[in-house]
Amino acid sequence: MSDFAASDQPAVLTARDVRKAFQVGDRSIEILHGAHIDLYQGERLCLMGASGAGKSTFLHILGLLEEPTEGDVTIGGKDAWRLPSSDRARLRNQHLGFVFQFYHLLPELSAVENVLVPAMIAHAHGDRKMDRAADKSRARDLLVKFGLEKRLDHRPGQLSGGERQRVAVARALFLDPEILIADEPTGNLDTATGEAVLELLLDEQRERNLSLLLVTHDERLSARCDRTLYMEDGQIQADTGVVIPH
Amino acid sequence: MYKSFLSWRYLVARRTNLIGIAGITVGVGALILILSIMTGFLEETKNTLRGSLADIVIEPSPYDRMDTEEPPEPGPFLEVVRKNQYVAGATAHLTWGGILAREGYASAASSAGMSGTLGNGMPIVQLIGIDVEEELASTDFEAALLREPPAGDLFARRIAVEDPKHPFRAPSDAPSDDFLRPWVVVGERVALENQLHRGSVINVATIAFDGKGNAAQSNREYRVAATFRSGENEADSTRVYMDRDALMDLLGDRMNFSQIVVRLEDYDRDKDAARSSLGEDLVAAGLLDGRGLKWEVRTWEDLRKNFLAAVENERLLMAIMLGLVLMVAGFTVFAILSMMVTEKRRDIGTLTALGATPNGIMVLFLMIGFWDALLGASIGATLGTLGALNIDAIERKLSETIGFQIFDRNVYMFDHIPAVVDPSAVVLFVLGAFACALLFAAVPAWRAARMHPIDALRYE
Repeated sequence: MSDFAASDQPAVLTARDVRKAFQVGDRSIEILHGAHIDLYQGERLCLMGASGAGKSTFLHILGLLEEPTEGDVTIGGKDAWRLPSSDRARLRNQHLGFVFQFYHLLPELSAVENVLVPAMIAHAHGDRKMDRAADKSRARDLLVKFGLEKRLDHRPGQLSGGERQRVAVARALFLDPEILIADEPTGNLDTATGEAVLELLLDEQRERNLSLLLVTHDERLSARCDRTLYMEDGQIQADTGVVIPH
Repeated sequence: MYKSFLSWRYLVARRTNLIGIAGITVGVGALILILSIMTGFLEETKNTLRGSLADIVIEPSPYDRMDTEEPPEPGPFLEVVRKNQYVAGATAHLTWGGILAREGYASAASSAGMSGTLGNGMPIVQLIGIDVEEELASTDFEAALLREPPAGDLFARRIAVEDPKHPFRAPSDAPSDDFLRPWVVVGERVALENQLHRGSVINVATIAFDGKGNAAQSNREYRVAATFRSGENEADSTRVYMDRDALMDLLGDRMNFSQIVVRLEDYDRDKDAARSSLGEDLVAAGLLDGRGLKWEVRTWEDLRKNFLAAVENERLLMAIMLGLVLMVAGFTVFAILSMMVTEKRRDIGTLTALGATPNGIMVLFLMIGFWDALLGASIGATLGTLGALNIDAIERKLSETIGFQIFDRNVYMFDHIPAVVDPSAVVLFVLGAFACALLFAAVPAWRAARMHPIDALRYE
């Protein structure tokens, strides 16, 4: 049991008895066999496991991108998979920030515009007023803070891998989500660049008191987290309960 | 907001989208340009036909035009017709067919008895006997006498009338010793094709009936006083106008008239009412038999309905064919958007992860079709309208440049290319372009909306 679980920090994300089966021909193959998780406010939680263990599928279900066959996922007090798809999209937009291994920036947009996309979507949901000048200024400030002051109007194709991932982190943080989901955020970067991006990510997490759910193969990343869960054969096997002083 | 923003960015980033926009531009522009010309052509033709005919023609059925023991006089008919509330003027016509030969040819009368003479260049003409004073008051005959050929028409052969109020009077320079040949007015094309000039002698031959069913050959010589230009090719290349008494003489005084031609106060407003009330008036006066068999009351549109229907039909066919251009443009939009949806799978996954809904994704791709339609239809409507309004100048410039007359004004006897831009048609074509583009964009947009975000994110 980690300090977070023992403390009175609220769980911002919980998953209970999550199962996922895929239909292959006339066979049903179950990938997740009742996985569960609690992610607390301000916690860094690492999810590790061998390839094919089911951690990506679990992460996608927690990120509301893949529907579980059974089980519940609660985010912001709402049973996410029982909501209509439009409300679930809104929950994704408001409560979750994603950082992908391959950045997934929109190639037609500049760095600043990429950062603004979640705000535009929130505006389309009617959850947020769009103040073009103020939002643009905030996006610029964030990118400047991440060391991209000379790359603000560059498109992804004109940026290095590390710069792209910084833009992706800025985009994930722009709407101040409660939860940051990072899928191998340094997996496509060299060691030095990866380390720099990780520092930036962890600094922001601490500064904003975000909950970070990190999926990685890298033991060094796991060592920087409060807690590490291992997945094996579609189930959570162990909770290290390691607490790393920040 | 992100939908319009991103769809515009996708549009401008992919040059292939220009093909879809260009297709819609061509479709809308061609529809407006060609159909404006067709509409103008129809309107101009109607005006010309209406000018060369009367508003309403009352004539016997073909079976009753001959073999009459006592040929009827036009007076009683005209008296009834002129009393009708819708009628502005009416006059009698005697029309008959004949063969024309100019001076120097073998006698048309003897030629008419030979086989194959018509193929040797003696044209069949329509002889029209008129009462000049009433004719001028009831038809556009005077305007046709005074109408000048189009500027620059090198082939025009106009013989100007000396006194339009008395077109069959001998001109001042006429030979003083010729009292026997009546003076006639021929169509401008008749004069051109037979090399006629003022004072030319023409020989007209025909077959007349004696009232007992016997046909007899008849011919007379006439002198050409002037030409007329109605603007209708058929009238100008076949008609010969003369005094009704002169034509009655050619026909052996067996016919007095064959038509009552009527001008209405307001044709467009009254045509149907006038046609039926004229019929009723003539039946009530005992001049028509009431079954509509012996005499017919018809508007000029009834008389030319086949021709007008053909032009109208041609316009419809053109609209359908040009509509196919829009369909092809729609398929292009479909193909480009389908490619784009495949290319943008990762973006679709990313946008879903960032909170976009499937509907939002669908609208995003539909909006690319919307932009295609907006740009294509706007440019097409502007170019098409400008082209239609300036088609004459454009055609002249093009003809000059390539050294070939694209629009032969002599064929249609128009001195300009007629074009009428109908604003409601322009709106219809623009809406059609939008409907087409959105319809064809709907399928790839729907496919994008149904894409699984994880499949999209994993796509490399």
